[in-house]
Amino acid sequence: MLKVSHVYKYFDDQCVNNDISLDLKEGEIFGLLGPNGAGKTTLMRMLATVTTPDRGEILFKNESLGSKHVPFIGYMPEERGLYRKMSVVDQLLYFAELKGLSRAKAKENVKKWLHRLEIVHWADKKMEELSKGMAQKIQFISTILHEPQFLILDEPFSGFDPVNADMVKDLIIELKEAGTTILFSTHRMDNVEELCDRLAIIHEGRKVLDGSINEVRRNHFKYEYDLGFAAAVTIPETFNCRKLENVSPNTYRITLQKEDNYQDLLQWAYGTQQLKAFGEYLPTMHEIFVNKVSNK
Amino acid sequence: MRNIWVVLKKEYLTRIKNKTFIVMTFLAPVLIALFYGGAIYFATVGAEDNSEKTVYFQAPYWDLESDELSFEDYTFVTALSSTETMLKEIEDKKMSGWLQINDRDLRNLDSAELVGGASLSVTELQKLNNHIKTRAHEYLLMQSGISDSTLRRTEVNGGIKALEINEKGDVANSNTTLKSAVGFAMAMIIYMFIFIYGSMVMRSAMEEKTNRIVEVIVSSVKPFDLMLGKILGVALVGLTQFFAWIILSVTLLGGLSYFFSSGGNSMPQEAQNLPVNELISGFNSLPFGDIIVVFVLFFLGGYLLYSSIFAAIGAAVNQETDVQQFMLPVSLPLVFGFIIAQSVVFQSPNGQLAKIFSMIPLTSPIVMAVRAPFDVPLTEIIGSFILLLLTFIFMVWLSAKIYRVGVLMYGKKPSWKDLWRWIRQS
Repeated sequence: MLKVSHVYKYFDDQCVNNDISLDLKEGEIFGLLGPNGAGKTTLMRMLATVTTPDRGEILFKNESLGSKHVPFIGYMPEERGLYRKMSVVDQLLYFAELKGLSRAKAKENVKKWLHRLEIVHWADKKMEELSKGMAQKIQFISTILHEPQFLILDEPFSGFDPVNADMVKDLIIELKEAGTTILFSTHRMDNVEELCDRLAIIHEGRKVLDGSINEVRRNHFKYEYDLGFAAAVTIPETFNCRKLENVSPNTYRITLQKEDNYQDLLQWAYGTQQLKAFGEYLPTMHEIFVNKVSNK
Repeated sequence: MRNIWVVLKKEYLTRIKNKTFIVMTFLAPVLIALFYGGAIYFATVGAEDNSEKTVYFQAPYWDLESDELSFEDYTFVTALSSTETMLKEIEDKKMSGWLQINDRDLRNLDSAELVGGASLSVTELQKLNNHIKTRAHEYLLMQSGISDSTLRRTEVNGGIKALEINEKGDVANSNTTLKSAVGFAMAMIIYMFIFIYGSMVMRSAMEEKTNRIVEVIVSSVKPFDLMLGKILGVALVGLTQFFAWIILSVTLLGGLSYFFSSGGNSMPQEAQNLPVNELISGFNSLPFGDIIVVFVLFFLGGYLLYSSIFAAIGAAVNQETDVQQFMLPVSLPLVFGFIIAQSVVFQSPNGQLAKIFSMIPLTSPIVMAVRAPFDVPLTEIIGSFILLLLTFIFMVWLSAKIYRVGVLMYGKKPSWKDLWRWIRQS
């Protein structure tokens, strides 16, 4: 669907995107993570054809990304805004027509979405008369009105109140089910684990990690096991633990050496006759993120 | 191409539907009429000081009764022997001044002085000066034996009338003053149009930046298309307003003249024979076809070029207050065009300097408009217009480049150096 290969972008002498490669599959949700100033927005602007790479190549359905792909792309930047003096309907029609929709089709879609989000009666109001939450809804509609195949959302949940953030979340899932490929950036790891099929972390302009959520978590498995007991137990010294934590009453997180066999541990635990739960502990995305970003 | 149309339509419709636009379209002709009416009224009636002025007169070598010198509002009386009294009276505003001419030879009024003359205006002083010189000249002529009656009999009236060969090959009246007036009026309209609607384009580009709409826009439409759509859309707004004004004014004038003509022949007979007829015949002798064509071409061309520059400024700055530093260099060529028009075109409308500045795209809209009534060669008009149009396209392209980069640069106030960097960058 979308292939980014070895893309570089410079501002003056500073390299903001350094050798970034991504491969997005059709119909998946891709999370772009990274701390502030990592170069996420710069990359997204290039994907949205706002700017072009200084080096490297971006392919959209195997064609070099260019202005002819504009009708197929929807972009919601982090810096949002609408024409204050224009009415909701005029505004939405304008954006839809700019994206190549015919007047009739644009009208049909505007009507559909206003109904869908139950804001039909606001249609003729000017933007300056609307509340912020309402404006956020309009903003999101304007991004997806032309039924893009590829949706780029820069921090889609920031600035949205919890109700609207949930709405955006539901819509993202709905659009994915309809076959839309979605790339979004966020700071919020709960959103990532909830929504993303795959993700990449960017730090200081470089991609430091990518893959599916499961792959990434599995790859960061540090031989940690959680054991829950019915009563307090003492872990024998014979287990060559690197770390032993008491995460909650009678529950322990044991970090084994790589060469150790977890089955010995399981056998011992089983033998105590107090074992209630046993499982691998995979690091959360939050832990992986903090680890990746602070290590570098 | 399609998006130029979409942008044009939006820019046009949002403005036309605006309440301010509708109000101004109806109100502006009334305001302008009031403004000019007031200006003309005060210029003819209010400005002149019609009060009586009494001036002490003293000229030991000029054999003349002081009273013989009196004219219009000026009365001359013989100077007193006490200088102090006179000065006191002038200071207390009881007398207007003290004119003393101590020259033995009246051909050189080197020592003529008017105490209290500093309170007179330039025109008043000039009037007084001319009067005294004429009277001194008459006195000298009489001294050399030419009688008063001879003097009156030999007075020369009238003057040279400029004629021209018109398009039909006939020799006809020409009215150079009228032509200059028409030329200047057109240049003025172009100048105002450029500023009013050019700054509208600028604000439109700025609005998108300050309201953070720009990123969405740039991801949907090519900056070149956006710029062109904006410029053409606002141009249409201007033209709509312009034609509305013309129609309104014509209706208003028509209504007024109907009202006056049906309300009895209140106009005095002599007023109807005044230079009005001459003015109308002068108007009829103007090459209207040429003038209108040149006006329309350079009116549009000038607006297009300047609004593309204004658009670039709008894309570069973050707030209205930052506009000033870029505004000055942009308006200079226009003002310069006016200076050139005044000093050169009046003296020689088809001279070398006039030709040069009606070719340079930044000054040509003004200079060519002023020259329009003076039979400008067709080749020059076409050449200059093509140059103007090419510069316009180039400027839109340049503005689009500035726009693409400039719109994503928030916060800091850009310098000329930044602009140059942006042009190279994109």
